[in-house]
Amino acid sequence: MITAPEMSEAQLESALGRTSPVVKLAVAILWLIALAFTLEPLPPVAVAVLAIGAGLWLGEIPPMHLIRALAPLWIAALGVGLFNTLFSPANLDSTATEVLTIGPFRITEQALMSGVSIGLRVLAIASVGAVFALTTEPTKLVDSLVQQARVPERFAYGTLAAYQAIPRFAEDLATLRQARRIRGLRGGWHPRLLVSLLVLAIRHGDRKALAMDARAFGSVPRSAYRVIVWGPLDVWVGVAGLFVAWAVIVIGR
Amino acid sequence: MISTDRSQSTRASGWRTRDIVITAVIGVAFGVVFWAWNNVWLAAVAAFPAVPWVADLLYGVWFMPAIVAMLIVRKPGAAFFAELVAAGLSMLMGTVWAADVLLSGALQGLGAELVFLAFGYRLFSFPVLAAAALAASVPAFIHDWIIWYPGVDPVVQLVRFVMMAVSAVVIAGGGSMLLERRLRETGVLQGFPD
Amino acid sequence: MTAEPGSIRARDLGFRYSGASRPALSGVLFDVEPGQTLLIVGPSGSGKSTLALAIAGLVPRDFDGAFTGSLEVEGVETRTWDPAALSARVGIVFQDPESQLVMEHVEDDIAFGLENRGWHRGRMLARVPEVLRDIGLEGFERRRTARLSGGEQQRVALGGVLAALPAILVLDEPTANLDPQGTIDFFARLAAIKAERETTIVLVEHKVDLAWPMADIVLALDREGRPIDLGRPEEVLVRSGVRMRREGIWLPERGAPMPVAGPPVTPGPPLIEAHGVRFGYDPQEPILRDIELVASRAERIALVGPNGSGKSTLGRLLVGLLRPDHGTILLGADEPSNLPAAELARRAGYVFQDPETQFLANTVEEEVMLGLRPDERATAGELTERLGLPLGQFGARSPYLLSGGEARRLSLACVLVRWPQVLVLDEPTFGQDRLGHEALVEIIRERLDTGICLFTATHDRRFIEQVAERIIELGSGWIVDDRPIRRAA
Ligand SMILES: Nc1ncnc2c1ncn2[C@@H]1O[C@H](COP(=O)(O)OP(=O)(O)OP(=O)(O)O)[C@@H](O)[C@H]1O
Ligand SMILES: Nc1ncnc2c1ncn2[C@@H]1O[C@H](COP(=O)(O)OP(=O)(O)OP(=O)(O)O)[C@@H](O)[C@H]1O
Ligand SMILES: [Mg+2]
Ligand SMILES: [Mg+2]
Repeated sequence: MITAPEMSEAQLESALGRTSPVVKLAVAILWLIALAFTLEPLPPVAVAVLAIGAGLWLGEIPPMHLIRALAPLWIAALGVGLFNTLFSPANLDSTATEVLTIGPFRITEQALMSGVSIGLRVLAIASVGAVFALTTEPTKLVDSLVQQARVPERFAYGTLAAYQAIPRFAEDLATLRQARRIRGLRGGWHPRLLVSLLVLAIRHGDRKALAMDARAFGSVPRSAYRVIVWGPLDVWVGVAGLFVAWAVIVIGR
Repeated sequence: MISTDRSQSTRASGWRTRDIVITAVIGVAFGVVFWAWNNVWLAAVAAFPAVPWVADLLYGVWFMPAIVAMLIVRKPGAAFFAELVAAGLSMLMGTVWAADVLLSGALQGLGAELVFLAFGYRLFSFPVLAAAALAASVPAFIHDWIIWYPGVDPVVQLVRFVMMAVSAVVIAGGGSMLLERRLRETGVLQGFPD
Repeated sequence: MTAEPGSIRARDLGFRYSGASRPALSGVLFDVEPGQTLLIVGPSGSGKSTLALAIAGLVPRDFDGAFTGSLEVEGVETRTWDPAALSARVGIVFQDPESQLVMEHVEDDIAFGLENRGWHRGRMLARVPEVLRDIGLEGFERRRTARLSGGEQQRVALGGVLAALPAILVLDEPTANLDPQGTIDFFARLAAIKAERETTIVLVEHKVDLAWPMADIVLALDREGRPIDLGRPEEVLVRSGVRMRREGIWLPERGAPMPVAGPPVTPGPPLIEAHGVRFGYDPQEPILRDIELVASRAERIALVGPNGSGKSTLGRLLVGLLRPDHGTILLGADEPSNLPAAELARRAGYVFQDPETQFLANTVEEEVMLGLRPDERATAGELTERLGLPLGQFGARSPYLLSGGEARRLSLACVLVRWPQVLVLDEPTFGQDRLGHEALVEIIRERLDTGICLFTATHDRRFIEQVAERIIELGSGWIVDDRPIRRAA
């Protein structure tokens, strides 16, 4: 399946599960920006450890789910780190200490240091993102964006309706390939499949839009059945998030 | 005979429910594509570690939702909205770029949006699409420099930019136009302006 | 809580979809008093769905086209109603249950329409449980809408509409995808609503035995979308019965079903075999278990069972579109899932349950011709004509802009133009008028006479009577019964 694993009751009722998604999102973006200001290796490591720890203890994410979410990350961290190492201007500086040479590349200590810490930055940012995704229910995210962040409601709920097309993508794709096969057309990938897939998604969206219009969507300002209220948890997570961002900037200097 | 015009179904914002949901559907579909494309990108990086700009030739795909959605619904904000939805979705599904994809998405969407705005949301010829795609690639390039490649030599950065620009024009400009044509031929875009 | 039922008045009403060659509706005239039930009947493509959408204000709001004449709801022209106010008064339920549900959880979906109308939270908190009780889904509050059975989903869709206490309730073939029990339950719910005269009901339905007894007024439309007759059901039947029959409209009539053609089969060698078959979309959760069956040349088998029992899944397995997790399936001497596509297409045909997901081309003609050999192409024109989709009229149209019944017949045409030995049809008759149904039965019988083996997954009793000789009944993944149909001689 393409979608993230379904969240358990424990995940939803955990401290992070109950925290306002808007607060979590704000903290994630804040940390991202703070990390952009530093080229030290310590802050990203600390943030990654913190995020994973919080996800496991405060978010009750099953460790396997977290591991699966973080797996592809190593390649990315390595790739980005390598890029920054190989193509650092420091490598051209003939006075800098050389650590090793790989083929045509001369790598200096300074270049390696910055490459490593940028690789670690990928690690940190991705861990924060995984924890956010694994503790946040889409419906609650949208409710919270509308009620707490004043995102325009028609756009927010329109997106939520479109979001439900996802489980259908895999099913529709399977059916389309079967439909080709039973009519004797060659298998494998055909560009038409992608067009057909998008066509079905659009048709599905059309029907959803019609059903929404039929139920008075967007006619008057909506009221809320599920009310999201600010709570002490939001304050704690927000304050802790601010503190970490501050610490990252200070330590990172 | 009373002929119905679109004004009946539009609200103050000019967006019908159908416009909103279809833009979001395109965003969501590309969010899934992003998720897959990340892996292609990572594979490209892993395959050509010595010439990393090869991967940047794939960059145009990241601007597609903005262009495709705007081509279909032709409403102010469609490029930005679709790009943001695609980014948000790929974040929820889990990407290595995490919250940063939201930031990139917003910047890219805005870049493309500005070009469409400059043409009054009236002109959608290939040069306009290409310009919008280029406009999306500029903030993307600057953003990536700051966040992901701060340690990289400026000359290499320039090579990256050229690759991104080529990819933007070909994939995001040309590819989007082709995709929209194919979709229109099926008839499902009936009721959207052409 | 009760609502005030509303009135509807149409005068010379017409609508032409933009780009269409003829109007979908024209010259329609009727009056519905508050609390009455209007039944709209007509052949496939006669504009029933279009009229239903117009009463709900969605035509012309969400569809481009030319609207003529007048349609008033509660004395006010639908097009001058503020959309909010109109959709607060009129609720509509469509054919496909799944695509009407907007929110992820049942309770939130029921509340969705109330939120859109700006109801106070206290009122919603009182109303939602009430609705859940009315539709018989207490305890389903936090269930995911995507995980419900078709019947349950359709009840949620009805609940989401009833929650806002509509003055007018419009239903467009609401039970087309439901199993017999689900259909009966749905109509029982509807009868209760009608008995309380809470709302005016507009019903589009091909299932005459359930629909006609509910009607206070019947509006009959012809192929071109013009009215044939309007009045009390028994009057209309007497006055226009012959004309309606000719148009292909289902009428309530007692009478023997068409007898099965041809002599009883003498089974030949096995054509399809399944032994110890187990399958699950997620292999951890099997959908089908221990499937054993042998079918020979000239056998006619109906697959029956409630929504979600695995009929469609079994059908796809039999023609090799899915591969069993365990056990073997043989089509002739080969495993169908290993056959090359061209060979598979020669031996087996399969019509998917949802017509739209199998379309692969941009026009009706391309769709029918896709992958055909030249000799098969020659017969395509005649076949589509018989199925009421003459290529001269429909050939250039988009497969995605057809009426429900037209789309179903197109999907059938795509497979019936070929002559495979094994034919698997998944719910081939839903949403069909009498002419479409009879044309299909006739075509299938011709094929049966040539000795093909037929499987059909269906909820349609009449169709089973007409074509099947053996019934395989599924219950949550097992074959619970496999019996010949006994007919009175
Ligand atoms: N979006 C569309 N664009 C063009 N033509 C359309 C569109 N939708 C329907 N039509 C055509 O309008 C006519 C009426 O369609 P409608 O769906 O109202 O029929 P119906 O009576 O509900 O048929 P069925 O019983 O098959 O569902 C049909 O001929 C159909 O092909
Ligand atoms: N592509 C799919 N992926 C996952 N689960 C599926 C898929 N298709 C069907 N299912 C599930 O498999 C079970 C059997 O479905 P199937 O469609 O075979 O039932 P059915 O008997 O044809 O029902 P109906 O009468 O509603 O057509 C259901 O629980 C359904 O939710
Ligand atoms: Mg219809
Ligand atoms: Mg089925």
